[in-house]
Amino acid sequence: MSDNSSGKENWKKGVEKLLKGDKAESLNRQSPEGFEIQALYDSEDVSNRNVDPGYPGEFPFTRGPYSSMYTQRPWTIRQYAGFSTAEESNKFYRQALEKGQKGLSVAFDLATHRGYDSDHPRVVGDVGKAGVAIDSVEDMKILFDGIPLDKMSVSMTMNGAVIPIMAAYIVAAEEQGVSTEKLSGTIQNDILKEFMVRNTYIYPPQESMRLVSDIIEYTSEKMPRFNSISISGYHMQEAGADSALELAFTLADGLEYVKTAVESGLDVDAFAPRLSFFFAIGMNFLMEVSKLRAARTLWAELMKEHFEPKNQKSLMLRTHCQTSGWSLTAQDPLNNVVRTTIEAMAAVLGGTQSLHTNSYDEAISLPTETSSRIARNTQTIIQEETDITHTVDPLGGSYAIESMTHDLKEKAKTIINEVMEMGGMAKAIEEGYPKRKIEESAAIKQAGIDKGDITIVGVNKYVNEKEDPVDILDIDNTGVRDGQVNLIDEIKAKRDKVATKEALLAITEAARSGEGNILDLAVEATRKRATVGEISTALEQAWGRHTATNQTIKGVYESVYKSDKGYQEIKSKIDAFSEEEGRRPRILVVKMGQDGHDRGAKVVATAFADMGFDVDVGPLFSTPEEAAKQAIENDVHVIGVSTLAAGHKTLIPDLVKILKKEEAGDIIIVAGGVIPVQDYDFLYEAGVSAIFGPGTNIPKAASKVIDEIRAKKA
Amino acid sequence: MTIDELAKGVQEGKRRHLAKAITLVESNREADQQTAQELISKVRSAKETIRVGISGVPGVGKSTFIEALGNLLIEEGLKVAVLAVDPSSPATGGSILGDKTRMETLSSKEEAFIRPSPTSGTLGGVAKRTRESMMLCEAAGYDVILVETVGVGQSEFEVASMVDCFLVLMLPGAGDSLQGIKRGIMEIIDILVINKADGDQEKMAKNAVTEYQNAFHLLTPKYDGIGVEFLTVSSIKKKRIDEAWEKIQGFVSALKEKGIFEAQRKEQELNWFKRLVEDEVLRRLWGSETNKEKAAELVEQIKKGEITPVKAAYDFLSSEISR
Repeated sequence: MSDNSSGKENWKKGVEKLLKGDKAESLNRQSPEGFEIQALYDSEDVSNRNVDPGYPGEFPFTRGPYSSMYTQRPWTIRQYAGFSTAEESNKFYRQALEKGQKGLSVAFDLATHRGYDSDHPRVVGDVGKAGVAIDSVEDMKILFDGIPLDKMSVSMTMNGAVIPIMAAYIVAAEEQGVSTEKLSGTIQNDILKEFMVRNTYIYPPQESMRLVSDIIEYTSEKMPRFNSISISGYHMQEAGADSALELAFTLADGLEYVKTAVESGLDVDAFAPRLSFFFAIGMNFLMEVSKLRAARTLWAELMKEHFEPKNQKSLMLRTHCQTSGWSLTAQDPLNNVVRTTIEAMAAVLGGTQSLHTNSYDEAISLPTETSSRIARNTQTIIQEETDITHTVDPLGGSYAIESMTHDLKEKAKTIINEVMEMGGMAKAIEEGYPKRKIEESAAIKQAGIDKGDITIVGVNKYVNEKEDPVDILDIDNTGVRDGQVNLIDEIKAKRDKVATKEALLAITEAARSGEGNILDLAVEATRKRATVGEISTALEQAWGRHTATNQTIKGVYESVYKSDKGYQEIKSKIDAFSEEEGRRPRILVVKMGQDGHDRGAKVVATAFADMGFDVDVGPLFSTPEEAAKQAIENDVHVIGVSTLAAGHKTLIPDLVKILKKEEAGDIIIVAGGVIPVQDYDFLYEAGVSAIFGPGTNIPKAASKVIDEIRAKKA
Repeated sequence: MTIDELAKGVQEGKRRHLAKAITLVESNREADQQTAQELISKVRSAKETIRVGISGVPGVGKSTFIEALGNLLIEEGLKVAVLAVDPSSPATGGSILGDKTRMETLSSKEEAFIRPSPTSGTLGGVAKRTRESMMLCEAAGYDVILVETVGVGQSEFEVASMVDCFLVLMLPGAGDSLQGIKRGIMEIIDILVINKADGDQEKMAKNAVTEYQNAFHLLTPKYDGIGVEFLTVSSIKKKRIDEAWEKIQGFVSALKEKGIFEAQRKEQELNWFKRLVEDEVLRRLWGSETNKEKAAELVEQIKKGEITPVKAAYDFLSSEISR
C-alpha cells in the first residue's frame, strides 16, 4: 500500500510539473451523469470501491451473462430494417440473411405502431415510411415468405399495437405450419418508455400495462423460446438522457413490469428469464462499456433483493444494443461510419448479446442498400477480422472500467431509489418526473453543443465546406398506400363478416371486463382476418385513446448559455423585434403525422422560449389541418415543423395549401429534422422559408427566423 | 388588412380575422391600441352569450375539464371560444404555451376557437386584454366564452370580475384543500366542482362536497336567493359534465330571472372604467420624471428621519395633484 501511494504521489508531481503549477486534480472532469471522471485510476481506486467483478456467467454477472461469451459464439448481428411494403422488406431481409446477418428485426411504419390501418385518413403521410406497413396477417405472411419461423429468431419493435402484431405473427407462423412453442425472438412490448420518450402509445397507462401482462402470461405458457419484453433505454438516450438516467429508468421500468406480472399471479421464474433489455450506445466509449457492465450487476442485485427468484437465469440481464442514431450527423455523413464503429466496439466490449449498427445516412434519410451493407459489415469485421472475440470481457480488471462501472451503478441506484420513493416507475411517469429529467438533460447537452463546449466533428468544428450529396432511398408513399388499401379491401370482401365481428366484440368485452387473455382473443380474431386497425379499435372502444399531458421545461437552455456573447446578441435582436412589433415573435412548434420522437421539437421549443419567443407547442400526431388551425387562432408569425420520419413531402405541402385557403399565406413555415438535401428544393418550392438539418445551431436558427419574418413583412 | 376589412371578417366569423383582431388588442404599441378601440366599437354585438370563468390550482385538470365541457357544448350546437390567461409566465423573455396539447379534440373542432395568451406587460394588464378578446369572440359568433386561469396572484379576481359565472375546480380530499383555499376566493365562487371523482376518489370527492357545503353555509351569499352550487365530475371519464353545464345554465337563468344578469354586466363595465382610470392615473403619477425625482428625494428624507411619512405624502401630492 505504501509503495502504491508513493507511486501515486510521484505521478501527481509529474503531472503538476507538466501543468506548470496547476493541481493534478484539475485534469479530472465532471461527467454529465454527475460524478467525477478521474484523469487516472489505480489499484487503490478499485480497492476503495470494494469492487470484485467476479467471473462471467456468475452472479452478479458484471463480466457477462454467459461463461464462454464470444469465445464460443459471437453476438447476434441483428439489423433493424423494414420499409415500404411487406414484399419489398421480405426481399431485403432475404438478401441480408445471405450476407451474414443472423436474426431479423422488423421496423414497422408509424401507422402500424399507432394501430391504424393504411386506409385511415390520419396516416396519409406515414404509410410505408420509416418501416413496413402491416395491416393484416396477409401482410405478415408475405413479410416472412421463404423465411422459416421455427429457425429464424425475429425481433419486433412494437409497443402500441403490440396485440394485433403479435397475433399476426403467431397466425402467420401457424399458417406456415409452425406452432407457437417453436417461435423464438423478441417483442419490444415496453410501453412505459413510450409514455416517457417515444410516444407511440395508444391506450392509457393502466390499460396498456394489462396488455404487457397478458403478453407475458401468454408467452410464458405457449412460447417458451420467445422474449416477452425488451425493456428499452435506447429511446431515453436518443431523447437526451445521460447514461445514468438511461440505466436507472430502464431498470426501474423492468422492476415495474416484474411487479405487475407477479401481482397478476405469475411466478417470477416463469417469465423473468425471458425478459431482455435494449440499450443505446453513444460516443462516450468508456462510459458505455461501463454502463452495460453496471446494468448487469445492478439488475442481478435488484432482482435478488426484490423478488428472490430461485432460477439464476431470472437474475441475468441479457441485452440488445444499437449504436446511437442521435450521434450521427447530416454533415459530412461518412464520418458516421467511424462513429458507428467506435460505438459498436463499446457495445461488444460491454458484452452485448446482439447488436444493430446504424447506417451512415440515417441522419439524412432511410438507409440505402450500400449504407446498410457497410453497417452490417462493421460488425462482421469486428467479429471476424479482429481478436476482440478471443477473450471474454477483455477490459475486465481495468482500473478505470471497474471504477466507472461502480460509480455509474451507484449513481443509477440513487435515481432508482428516488423512483421507488415515489411509488415506482408507473407513479413517477404519471408525475412526469423521468420525462422532465430527460428533457433537462437534452437541453443542457444542446446548449453545450451550440456553445461549442461539446465537439461534433463536421458540425461545430472542422466543418467540411463543400458537401457532396449522398444517395438516398425515397419511398413512393402514395404508391405504397394505394397498394395497401387495395389489399385491405380484398381481405374485407373475402372474409366471414359475422365471424370477424364476433371475434372483435369478444376483444372489446374482455377489455371492459378485465377477464380473459387479450392476446389469446386477438389471435382468434386474426385467424378470422380482422385487421391490425380493427383489433386496435376494438380495444380503443373500451379504453379510449390516450392523450399525453405535455409539460415543457424552461430556463435550462439559458442557464448553460447566458454568459455567451452571441446568445446575448440574439436575445437583443428578439427584444428589438418585440418592441417594433408590439409583441414577441410567436412560433408554433409542431409535429405532424404519427411520429412521436419529440426531442428536437422540445429542445427547440424550450431554447426559443428562453431566447424570447412566445412558443406554442402543438399536440403530437397533428394533421396539417389541425396545425394550420392552431397557427391561425394563435396568430403566430411562423410555424416550425419538426419532421424525422420522412412524411414531410406529403404533409408540408398540405399545410401550405390549407394556410393559403384560410387567407393565412403570410405565416412563414420553417422545417427541421431529418430532411435529405435532395428534398430541400422541393420544400422551398412548396413554400418553406428555411430548413434546419440536424446539428443546426439553435441561436443562429432563431436569428434566421427573425430575418425571415422581417423579409415577409417588407 | 384595413380596419373595415378586419371588422367585417370578425363579424363574418372568420378565424383568421378574429385571431388578428385579438393580436391587435394584445399589442403593446400605442397606435395599435387606438386601432383596437376603433375596431371594438365597430363590432360590438348584442348577441346573447354566456361568459364563464374557470379557475383552479395547477394539476386540478382545468384543460381536461374544458376539453370535455367544450365538446359537450359543441354537440349541443353551440360555438365555444376558450381564452387562456396564464399570469405565471415570466416578466421578461418568452413563454411556452402548451394549452392546446391538453385540449386535443376540442382544438381540432371547427366550432371551437382557442387562444392562449402570454403575459408581457400589456397596458391595463391581463384583465383588459381578455375582456376585449372576449368581446371580439362574441362579435365573431361564439355563444359561450370560457376564460381559463391558473389560481395564481390576482388573476382569479380579475377573471371573476369579467364573467357571468365563476367556476372553481378542486381536487378530492376535502379537509386539506379547504385549508389551502385562498382568502377571498370563497366569496367569488358561483359553482364549485370537484374534479377527478373517479375510481377510488369517488367517495373522497363526495365527502369533499359535504365539507365545502358546510364551510360555505357560513358565508353571506353573493346574490340574494342564489346559493353556491356544488358537484363532482370526472373530466377524464367524461362523467357528469352534462350536469356541470346544467348548473351553469341554471345559474345564469336565475341571474336573468332576478334581473341581475344585465345589471351585473353593466356594473362590470363601470368597474372596469374606474379600474382603467385608476391604473392610468397611477401609471402617469409614477411614470413622470419630475415625480420620480421628487419621490426619491422624499424617500431619502424619510430614511434619514428628517420628515414623517405623512408629511412627505402631503408634500408630494400637493406638488403633483395641482397639475
